[in-house]
Amino acid sequence: MARYAANRLMQALLLLVIVSALGFAILHLAPGGPLSQFAVSSQMSQEDLDRVSRQLGLDRPLPIQYLDWFGRMLRGDWGRSYRDGEAVLSVIGSHLGATLELMTTATAIAILLGCWIGVLGAVRRYSLFDSLATVGAMIALSIPTFWFGLVTIYLFSVKLGWLPSGNRQTIGDGSLPDLLHHLIAPAVVLALVETAVWGRFMRSSMLEVVNQDYIRTARAKGIPEWRILTRHALRNALLPMITVAGLQFPTLLGGALVTETVFTWPGMGRLFLDSIGYRDYPVVMGILMFSAMMVLIGSLLADILYAVVDPRIRMG
Amino acid sequence: MLLGASAAAGLTVPATVFAQTERPTSPPDKPRGQVIAALSQEPTVFHPLMPGIEVDQGVWWQVFSPLWFIDPDGNFVPDLAREVPTIENGGLSADGLTWKIKLRSGVKWHDGTAFTAEDVKFSLELINNPDFRVRNRVGHSLVKDIKVVTPDEIHWRMDAPYSPYMSILSLTFMVPKHILEKVSDPNNSPFHNAPVGTGPFRWGERVPGDHILLSAHTGYHGKGPYLERVVFKYIPDLTVLYTQFRTGQVDYTGLQGILPNFVQEAKTLRDRRIFVSSTASVEHVAPNLEFGPFVDRSVREALYLAINKKAIIDALNYGLPTQTESFVPQQAWSFQSGLPQHSYDPAKANALLDAAGWVRGAGGVREKGGVKLEFTNSTTSGNAVREQTQQLLIQDWRSIGAAMRVNNMPAAVIWGDFWQQSKFNSVLVAVNFMLGSDPDVTPRFGSGAIPAKGGRGFNTYQYQSPEADRLLAEGARRFDLAQRKATYGDLQKLIRNDLAMLPLFQGFIAEGIKDGLQGFRHNINTSSNCWNIREWYWARSA
Amino acid sequence: MSTAALQSVQLAPGQAAWQRFRRHRLALVGAVTIVVLILGAAFGPYLLPFDDTFIDIMKRFAPPLSGAHILGTDELGRDVLARLMMGGRVSLSIGIVAMTIAMAVGILVGAFAGFYGGVIGAVLMRIVDAVLCFPAIFLLLALAALTEPGLMTTTLLIAATAWMSVARVVEAQVRSLREREFAIAAVAFGSSNLRIMFRELVPNAMAPIMVAATLNVAKAILLESYVSYLGFGIQPPAASWGNMLNNAQIYLTSAPWLAIAPGIAITLAVTSFNFLGDGLRDALDPRMNIP
Repeated sequence: MARYAANRLMQALLLLVIVSALGFAILHLAPGGPLSQFAVSSQMSQEDLDRVSRQLGLDRPLPIQYLDWFGRMLRGDWGRSYRDGEAVLSVIGSHLGATLELMTTATAIAILLGCWIGVLGAVRRYSLFDSLATVGAMIALSIPTFWFGLVTIYLFSVKLGWLPSGNRQTIGDGSLPDLLHHLIAPAVVLALVETAVWGRFMRSSMLEVVNQDYIRTARAKGIPEWRILTRHALRNALLPMITVAGLQFPTLLGGALVTETVFTWPGMGRLFLDSIGYRDYPVVMGILMFSAMMVLIGSLLADILYAVVDPRIRMG
Repeated sequence: MLLGASAAAGLTVPATVFAQTERPTSPPDKPRGQVIAALSQEPTVFHPLMPGIEVDQGVWWQVFSPLWFIDPDGNFVPDLAREVPTIENGGLSADGLTWKIKLRSGVKWHDGTAFTAEDVKFSLELINNPDFRVRNRVGHSLVKDIKVVTPDEIHWRMDAPYSPYMSILSLTFMVPKHILEKVSDPNNSPFHNAPVGTGPFRWGERVPGDHILLSAHTGYHGKGPYLERVVFKYIPDLTVLYTQFRTGQVDYTGLQGILPNFVQEAKTLRDRRIFVSSTASVEHVAPNLEFGPFVDRSVREALYLAINKKAIIDALNYGLPTQTESFVPQQAWSFQSGLPQHSYDPAKANALLDAAGWVRGAGGVREKGGVKLEFTNSTTSGNAVREQTQQLLIQDWRSIGAAMRVNNMPAAVIWGDFWQQSKFNSVLVAVNFMLGSDPDVTPRFGSGAIPAKGGRGFNTYQYQSPEADRLLAEGARRFDLAQRKATYGDLQKLIRNDLAMLPLFQGFIAEGIKDGLQGFRHNINTSSNCWNIREWYWARSA
Repeated sequence: MSTAALQSVQLAPGQAAWQRFRRHRLALVGAVTIVVLILGAAFGPYLLPFDDTFIDIMKRFAPPLSGAHILGTDELGRDVLARLMMGGRVSLSIGIVAMTIAMAVGILVGAFAGFYGGVIGAVLMRIVDAVLCFPAIFLLLALAALTEPGLMTTTLLIAATAWMSVARVVEAQVRSLREREFAIAAVAFGSSNLRIMFRELVPNAMAPIMVAATLNVAKAILLESYVSYLGFGIQPPAASWGNMLNNAQIYLTSAPWLAIAPGIAITLAVTSFNFLGDGLRDALDPRMNIP
């Protein structure tokens, strides 16, 4: 078991190196650069731009730039943003809280609601509830998030005035009720698709399990239904969910990006979009490495958990 | 007369105000209340001498001060200087080479230290410091032998007479010597994210990705401030920006303003006032004059004739901008009126192309000598109105046998080599051709200013004309305003005749303000409409 | 045993599957809707009097049913219905093609990795993990920045972001199924590896794969709308449901039909594919055949 974990850890580290190299290459080879924003607006001439480019070290050959960046990263220096000059780690840190707040709330809503709908739907298959839930989940999966967000803002903020039309807090305020008030709309919008995803996977997973022999055996033995559900069915239905959960971080980040844009939420998704737009290479690489680490840790944990729970697939 | 004739050196703008007339009120005795200004881009650069974009300027105007600035009527107004140097008051030598500037006394930095001429010297030297990542050195590189005569008087010598330097200094903010001289890296220090200036507002806090808070500097040397706090709020989506303005979460919509399709509705909102004002930019189709079909002037003229400017202005832009024929803003002193007016005449365009030997070939696309009249047009992706304009152009130009294809890309890509090295066919863009408020457009149209050919400048059109070069040299040499006006007038006629670019309309911005907020004044001569937030205040409702 | 179970034992497996599918009403509705949409997109433009790119600036923003335009006109005076149908061609084909590519790649990689395990499995899954580390948006943006935007590139980009999750699910399923009785039996009978993989294991993993496939078409159509939003997708003047929706954003309050039409189209198409997948899954579930 320990050898397995250590093995995976080594692979993960190697993976991080590959990811960093690939990401660095793609980013720098893409056309455009961090100085383009000044070419039209700020009256900087080609010489000025070349000079600044040299001062930022952008004229060096790519492998040298990469090794320099990588070496510094290993020592804990993730570089400085080209835009505000702050250390990349601090830039990410200042945006991370907002995104985590949004993502955990949305995921919590999604898991609770989704699993409940999924289990009930599987157990009461083809009932009215199942049909409604299925149709509802389908529609929820099909609506473009940004469209849903805009409609939500239009309805609840512009027309009804019940909810604020964006941002994390009222400037000057910052109390818990204020934060929650601002959190409702974006969390629900983000949770919409997630709920549907969890619901569907839970339902199909549950259905598979419920039709297994051992469930029928348990029923034949006279074990109460609820016990069957919770003790046997649910536990086995949750196994593939672990894989699903391990995959959720980047998807959630992508969904958060859209939600953050619509609701003007000062989070990492928004930061990522802006940084790519301005070709703020250090920050983009920082976010990439950070999310890669999160994904790897997540999938590593998921695999270990899976192996622990399902003895059949302990890797020899 | 050199630069002392300040009256006509800037641009005058009558701002169009859609407002109910209000009773004039007076500002409060003590700073009161806050203003939340929305921006669709995030200010991230707080050192006013480093490369920054327009929204950064908005913050700089609050935290820092220049020696003087240009007011909306085009007058130079002293700020940190006691008076604007002219030849009459001895501030400038007759040959324009010696500058003697008297500074205001009693000005304090936000941390209490006194502002002196040492700070001015330090700022100018910092700009010329080769290790410093300065924005540009145009004009500043000519400054030599800076002498601090007394704490409130500074002299220097210019290497060559350069008339635009007056305007350039009006946009150059002074930075504190006592803080920045101790810094190990001029490009990166705590100052960069907690700036200290002499401006009306001091640095409060910044929540990255969300907002910047500034609070009133009660020891400010000028008029104001009348607000306790100014908040710059970052709202990247323009629809959301307008929504927040509607619902009152935001008091002022700054860059990029209110989208044209919302302006009509915005004007009907209660308790809101909308200002539509002209900017110094000119929206135009920029052709790459070395590219195939564009080399032929008849092609350019035919394309220009086939542009339905009225539809673009009235329908797509809801009638907000004014059409123009020149690269100079209409409010500028150097603007040449009477240029040939555009007319939408596809028939004439067709006749012109027929006469010039452009024959319709396969698919109705004209060609001549193996060159087809087909090209791409690019603009920043995501700009709805520009994309609509492009599609209208596709249709109209197809009717005269020109095949245009859209090739849009994001800002970080289009303004890189693609634009600078003239790798485009044509671009739909808005450019401010002026240098400060000076009409010297040598970097834009001079034949030595073509970056793609190794020149120094922004002549991405690759326009080469000996006559234009002659006029440009003449204009930069002369100091008499009337003479310069005539020279630049001739230049505008030439550019219009050659159709080095196809002008559409003059840039505009629609800004919204909550009722009760007084003091907003659009200023085409400063780099930001937030230039005078120090004069804004909330009128007490009766 | 119930009569239904008895009856299903007497029928051939294919017929039994079809019977089960027919009983799933929502799936039928979904299938019919998809056929209607595809027919509409394919033949509709020939039946309409209006061209989808003809700009009539004076007739901007005509509301639906107000004149000759059934669904009204858009911000440039173009007929919304015509654009909807042309856009349907683009969005539907991107959805289906991207899904097919993603599924093919994902199943191949996942099956091989899950079956062989060991070094091969580890390497393959690490590659999957590597690509998964990139948020889909990053992949889309970066790759889109390197290529000329258009139909083919958009399709490939979307496929490139979708195959990994399929591979992961398939790999996990195959890995666990490999140890099951029927698989071990097949090995004992001397079946070749490929045969075991694709005749025994993958079909048994079909249920989650089906779910993944239908969700992928849905995701692909939605991703297309997002890519068009960023300006990398379908370029004007061509229409896609995605870029129609995005152009309509700023007119949400003044001309809502511009957003409602493509929004409903997307929702309808995506929902239908999801129902279809559900029905297929129920119909193909081999466990139902065990008496």
